[in-house]
Amino acid sequence: MIYDQFLQTLLGGLAIGCIYSLIALGISMIVRATDILHFAQGEVMMVGAMTGFSSGVWAGNAPLLALIGGTFGGGLMAVAVELGVYRPLRARRVPLINVVIATIGVSIVLQNVARLVWGSEPLAYPALFETRGLVISGFTVSPQLATIVVLSVLIMAALAVFFRYSRAGIAMQAAAQDPDAARLMGISVERATVNTFAVSGMMAGAAGVLLGSLFFASFNMGFITGIKAFVAAVLGGLGSVPGAMVGGLLFGVIETFSAMFISTSYKDAVGMVVLILILLVAPMGLFGRAGRQV
Amino acid sequence: MKMPPALPRLIALLILVAVPLVEHNAYWLHVFSLALIAAILALGMQLLLGMAGLLSLGQGAFYGIGAYVAGALAANYGVPFLLTLLAGGLAAAAASLLLVPIVRLKGTSLAVATLGFSIIVHLVILNEEWLTGGSLGLMDIPKPTLFGVSVADDDVFYWVCLVILVLVFVAMDRISKSRFGRALSAICQDEEAARASGIRLAWSKSKCFLVAAFTAGVAGGLFAYHSRYLSPSDFTFNESIEIMIMAVIGGLGSLSGAVVGAFVVVLMPEVLRSSGELRMILFGLAVILLMAAGNLGIVGLASLAAAKLFGLFSSARAWVSKPREAN
Amino acid sequence: MAALLETRGVSRRFGGLLAVDSVDLDVTEGEVHGLIGPNGAGKTTMLNLLSGHLPVSTGTILFAGADITRLPSERRAAAGIRRTFQNLKLFREMTALENVMVGLHASTRAEIFHALLRTRFQKREEADIAEKARAALAFVGLTALADQPAGSLPYGHQRLLEIARAFVAEPRLLLLDEPAAGLNASESRHLVDFIFRIRSAGTTIILIEHHMDVVMPTCDRITVLNYGKLLARGTPKEIRADGAVIGAYLGKGAVAAAAAVRKAEAAHAAH
Repeated sequence: MIYDQFLQTLLGGLAIGCIYSLIALGISMIVRATDILHFAQGEVMMVGAMTGFSSGVWAGNAPLLALIGGTFGGGLMAVAVELGVYRPLRARRVPLINVVIATIGVSIVLQNVARLVWGSEPLAYPALFETRGLVISGFTVSPQLATIVVLSVLIMAALAVFFRYSRAGIAMQAAAQDPDAARLMGISVERATVNTFAVSGMMAGAAGVLLGSLFFASFNMGFITGIKAFVAAVLGGLGSVPGAMVGGLLFGVIETFSAMFISTSYKDAVGMVVLILILLVAPMGLFGRAGRQV
Repeated sequence: MKMPPALPRLIALLILVAVPLVEHNAYWLHVFSLALIAAILALGMQLLLGMAGLLSLGQGAFYGIGAYVAGALAANYGVPFLLTLLAGGLAAAAASLLLVPIVRLKGTSLAVATLGFSIIVHLVILNEEWLTGGSLGLMDIPKPTLFGVSVADDDVFYWVCLVILVLVFVAMDRISKSRFGRALSAICQDEEAARASGIRLAWSKSKCFLVAAFTAGVAGGLFAYHSRYLSPSDFTFNESIEIMIMAVIGGLGSLSGAVVGAFVVVLMPEVLRSSGELRMILFGLAVILLMAAGNLGIVGLASLAAAKLFGLFSSARAWVSKPREAN
Repeated sequence: MAALLETRGVSRRFGGLLAVDSVDLDVTEGEVHGLIGPNGAGKTTMLNLLSGHLPVSTGTILFAGADITRLPSERRAAAGIRRTFQNLKLFREMTALENVMVGLHASTRAEIFHALLRTRFQKREEADIAEKARAALAFVGLTALADQPAGSLPYGHQRLLEIARAFVAEPRLLLLDEPAAGLNASESRHLVDFIFRIRSAGTTIILIEHHMDVVMPTCDRITVLNYGKLLARGTPKEIRADGAVIGAYLGKGAVAAAAAVRKAEAAHAAH
């Protein structure tokens, strides 16, 4: 019985961890490409949850359409803020801290626009995925959680394939690693940056749909989740793709287990203590590369 | 007390002193007092971020520690007003010693670790009911008195906050022009070269955290008397982020900028209240637009505009006291 | 004369590369000691080991008889070892004067509460710091630029400013990392002059330099590194005649090295 509970908790932790990973990946990619700490990534996730909700309801509770709607909603929103806010700021050569604070401004704006559009009441997501318990070799497995894990893994695998084999993906990596050299190779760094925001926004949007389907969607769901994903990205090593994945999973599992076995009230604190301890040993995070600073 | 030297500062001070003489509305005086308290917070942040380049998101936590220590001492033990402020500052400074192990972190790692500290402190405030009253909050904070005389009236309390703000401003100004201030600037601009000049990084940074935490603790103490009721929701990590916005929006590295930034962040949502649901959207847009001013900030922009108007370019440059990037 | 600085078997490994390989260095009090070698010979790494900016992998460093191997760079700076950087590390947004004032940090004491209360001690110390810093600026001829932001100074002046920042603390040992890099001919001649004057003020100098017209006239003794190893040591005269040294330079790039040697000889003859 304890074993069963342990597995349930682990699955729950992995599911929430996958969601953190998807958001953290975007945060990491954006840092690598532009050095911007994107505090609005959680809001992009929220926008994905909202557009996913709307397209899902419109299509009559179709899970796939909700996922597609959320993914594109997040992607478009991220591209919009890059083109509308961050790029003009960078063009003015303002200090990086200004751009970082502008991302907080973006997050305030997005939250309150979403409140106007979707209202301030939490929206109960239609049952997108099977919610009845699934019994696998004696253990009850929540199909909802399992679906989230499977979908997240698929999305991350797609990302890996995209980075590895597509022209756009390779160009994005090159532009992030060495913009000057990439320019010499004929890569448009500006376009690669827009693509980075698009891909990171799509992942956050998908994460929004998954998180929404687990609980509900609301205009203020983004900031705290975004902050946690941020912590996860730093935990893994900001700028590192595997770091963001591992950091997200680790953070989700720690959070869920501490809620279950230590204290519900202090579940967030346990994650933060672990974060601080890891940073003390590895100041650049688990997979961090030295030299990357704000 | 010695006045800040520059004429614009003097004029600004006179205006601030005169506010309660012109504005008698209790609500607005309350808001203005809150802006003065926020200005004290922003000055502490300016020491960290503007001078030393330390992106700390822990100031909200020290604010909360100061508020709860001062509030609890006043409510439960009847400790006099000024002593509770001091105790709030000292408690926050003592708590900042917990950060000593993480001062060697840089940039994002430091920001996220201190953010974690803020989250932990918030949870302690929220959950340790025996200590803080938990989610019900800390109630029954008495009216502040100085030497037996009540200073709780809106206008008097405003002036009390103003006096403390001026003291903190002068203190920060003196620090910025001292050996310690130079060491912080040196660390901000080049850590290796600072070490090569014999500056101990961890030691100097820890002292910087300590002074900034003390400042935030005093501000917290003032806040306890300002609202006379403390709720955990006043001290979430959002508070730390707001304090960071204050320090940058007015002009990074500028002490006057910190004060102006605090007033903007506190007053703008109030001024925009008439715009109803659009209020926070407009506030967010204003934050974004002001970031386009680069490291000049509001104070820099204003002084440039003044320079254009009066052709006093040289005085304007003196007014924009050394903006710098944080890295 | 007593050795001011001795290293015994000092090595530094970067991954698979031995950048400095078991080097014994002896620097006598009061001398100008040249540290030369082809590019990648490990000179700057060696300097970083001496200043404490890099920890040694193995070996010991003795300064004035005390083991400083484990001392961090700020403590070595306080003990009287100061340095300049090959790629200039100034506090770019501080004025030239403030840069030099920072150089006096370790030898001054005023704490935060002195500054808050503007105590008489603090005022006196600040005045003293400013006076010494101005003197150091005057020494390198930058008095007129004292209130300019360091980052706005021309390159050659930035080099001099860095020397002033290191020299103002009256160090016992001054480590100069390619001080002539980027200087024009007349600035280089000034530099030679400075080095003599710093030495006559009682400061021992270790000089890393490619420009032989700076090294040969100023150095009392020279240590040559090649591939991280000690290749030769001796007086400038002995080094010029050392076949191994010439070979090392020729091996790297015959034309440039030969030119360097010829230039060095000419410079030596001129003095």
